[in-house]
Amino acid sequence: MKKKIGLLLAMLAALVMMVGVFGNPTSAQAADSSLAKIQKKGVLVMGTSPDYPPYEFQATVKGKSAVVGMDVKIGEKVAKDLGVKLKIKSMSFDSLLVALQTGKVDMIISGMNPTPARRKNVDFTHTYYKGGYEIVINKTDKGKYKNKDSFGGGTLGAQTGTTQYNAAKKQTKNTKVKGMTSQSDLILALQSHKLDGVAMEKPSAEAYVSNNKQLAAIPSNFSMSSSATSSAIAFRKGSTSLVNKVNQTVDQIKKENLVKKDYLPAAGKYLKTNTVNTSMGHYWKAFLTGIEYTLIITVCSVFFGFIIGVLLALARLGKGNFLKSLLRWIATAYVEFIRGTPMMVQVMFVYFGLGLFVNLPALTSGIIAISLNSGAYVAEYIRGGINSVDIGQTEAARSLGMSNGETMRFVVLPQALKNIWPSLGNEFITLIKDSSIVSIIGVTELIYQSNIVRSDTYRGVAPIVVIMVLYFILTFTASRILNYFERKMQHA
Amino acid sequence: MPKPVIEVEKLAKSFGDNAVLKDITEQVNPGQVIVVIGPSGGGKSTFLRCLNLLETPTSGKVAFEGHDLTTMDTKSVNSLREKMGMVFQGFNLFPNMTVLENIKLAPMKVKHADDASATKQAHELLQRVGLDDHADAFPDSLSGGQAQRVAIARALAMNPEVMLFDEPTSALDPEMVGEVLNVMQELAKDGMTMVVVTHEMGFAKSVGDRIWFMADGYIQENSTPEKFFANPETDRAKDFLSKILM
Ligand SMILES: Nc1ncnc2c1ncn2[C@@H]1O[C@H](COP(=O)(O)OP(=O)(O)OP(=O)(O)O)[C@@H](O)[C@H]1O
Ligand SMILES: [Mg+2]
Repeated sequence: MKKKIGLLLAMLAALVMMVGVFGNPTSAQAADSSLAKIQKKGVLVMGTSPDYPPYEFQATVKGKSAVVGMDVKIGEKVAKDLGVKLKIKSMSFDSLLVALQTGKVDMIISGMNPTPARRKNVDFTHTYYKGGYEIVINKTDKGKYKNKDSFGGGTLGAQTGTTQYNAAKKQTKNTKVKGMTSQSDLILALQSHKLDGVAMEKPSAEAYVSNNKQLAAIPSNFSMSSSATSSAIAFRKGSTSLVNKVNQTVDQIKKENLVKKDYLPAAGKYLKTNTVNTSMGHYWKAFLTGIEYTLIITVCSVFFGFIIGVLLALARLGKGNFLKSLLRWIATAYVEFIRGTPMMVQVMFVYFGLGLFVNLPALTSGIIAISLNSGAYVAEYIRGGINSVDIGQTEAARSLGMSNGETMRFVVLPQALKNIWPSLGNEFITLIKDSSIVSIIGVTELIYQSNIVRSDTYRGVAPIVVIMVLYFILTFTASRILNYFERKMQHA
Repeated sequence: MPKPVIEVEKLAKSFGDNAVLKDITEQVNPGQVIVVIGPSGGGKSTFLRCLNLLETPTSGKVAFEGHDLTTMDTKSVNSLREKMGMVFQGFNLFPNMTVLENIKLAPMKVKHADDASATKQAHELLQRVGLDDHADAFPDSLSGGQAQRVAIARALAMNPEVMLFDEPTSALDPEMVGEVLNVMQELAKDGMTMVVVTHEMGFAKSVGDRIWFMADGYIQENSTPEKFFANPETDRAKDFLSKILM
């Protein structure tokens, strides 16, 4: 099961801890009004990572992309039994726990297994499904491999940080284990014979095998504790009344065997309709949405980043009284800090961190984070540009009676901008590419969409090629347009 | 006696340990053309820049029409600077604007003149310096002499009471010096009060009302051109003149 415990999670945990220091109202453990709260709100927000068929994945439902799968069915049943509406929020699996703790979502149903480590931070319901593990191999090797012990001298693959990854490492001999972050990448590596087998959960393995005639599945024979093979629903710590209520639903699902009888077959149906047409053209709408969001993020971030950059640059150039010195110090510290931390962390900080105080949608968070980031870089370009304008220009303007501000605005900045136009243009192009980072918080830009298409079609390379070409078209067009304006400006 | 336009009292200016101006007390009367001469590094530029507070004096007083600039707030200094036009050795035209726009900028942004009247005034000034046919040219297409005449027109556009010139012809090819000096001479004839730092001794003799000889941070001599060039009093001035008038 998915159990990523990498650096990323450690960092997010730190974030949540910090939040605890601030006093987080949503994680208050005192009075348990969890059930009443949800019923009063009338909406139950379910967090899930839809890249894991048949648990949860994206499919085209009546012409529109939607999250489907057996976990979604369970979510729907839970919401119905609580008498509230279900809302689904997609994000990367690593982000789910933080999203729950920071109140972005009310529960997680995402094939999550109730490990003791997780139990420390969240409350789990009874398990609703017990899976197992298989190993996917190339069909041509079918006679060669029987189970985990047949891969001596060969290489097994598994999703990094997952239970099956750890099992493959510990429970095989003489076998190399290679981890990758995405299942589709693993399958791709298998088909190009970089791997001899891929360990994954039984339902996933079956989905891949039934959709790809060149693959076959064999039993893994990993020995596992039941907490590592079963899935449960996660709620915020201290939600006893809510958990108790939902447990009634879970128990009913188990008693009536709904997962096997209804939910899995229903998910399988989407998988089938989904693989009828796996040509990239069929997904043009998904890619178009990706382009649209990539452009929205880039254009907005460039705009706000530029304004932030100008302000920061002016603050950094300020000299004089205490207030100006203070502003300069703050601006300098800001620029250094932003440039010294990864944009990915900043994106997560804005979404999860600021999200505690104001409820920001992912797209807004992404734009804010990237604008703040870009502002720091733009500030440095502008500062350089201002310094590159001859001091004589300032003196001439001042001698004509213009104030400091007027001189900056009418004489220095226009020349500075002209000087740094190529750098600003580069920043724009860079942002088109870097905006892809917001895919981790579930903004449906190009990278996110291509991942969806990949897990949707079980085709590893084609969507990558498509977005590569799309990115290139975007950046190439943008650089042509920028060149045009640059030439026009040089004329003036 | 008319009231002086500029009064300088005990003016001193240091850059760190480097005392460039030591103790200067002089005044400029309306309509006067003061020519400041002296050896390189003697503080002439610094002195001129202290007059319109481009450089902040270390101590002493600089008064314009009776108002002490050194104790004024920034806003009042800005508005007094309008009344003191300045022309630089390096022209300092705004390269991203046409000649016309260079001249119109300050009247429109500072005095909030409307476009039509600013344009009209700019053309008049360009005619005065003989460059109206270059109104739409960009500075980098002008010769040095043309650029400096535009710079003079730009300073005049604020209708200053005084014009400060810091070696306006030093960066020019010899054949262009004349056209700039002619414009300055015309200005003087029209009664403009001027303080001119220059190495053009011919101009100093024929146009100057007073010569201020400056060296080592002091005005060493303040006299008429006739007297200064014929009978310099200090050894410092004699030495200087012997070097340049070979
Ligand atoms: N901004 C400054 N910072 C430090 N020192 C300066 C500054 N401006 C001028 N100086 C110093 O002040 C002294 C006088 O310079 P200034 O330019 O006033 O002389 P000048 O008489 O105009 O010389 P020149 O004939 O070469 O133009 C020089 O030693 C110069 O190095
Ligand atoms: Mg000088």
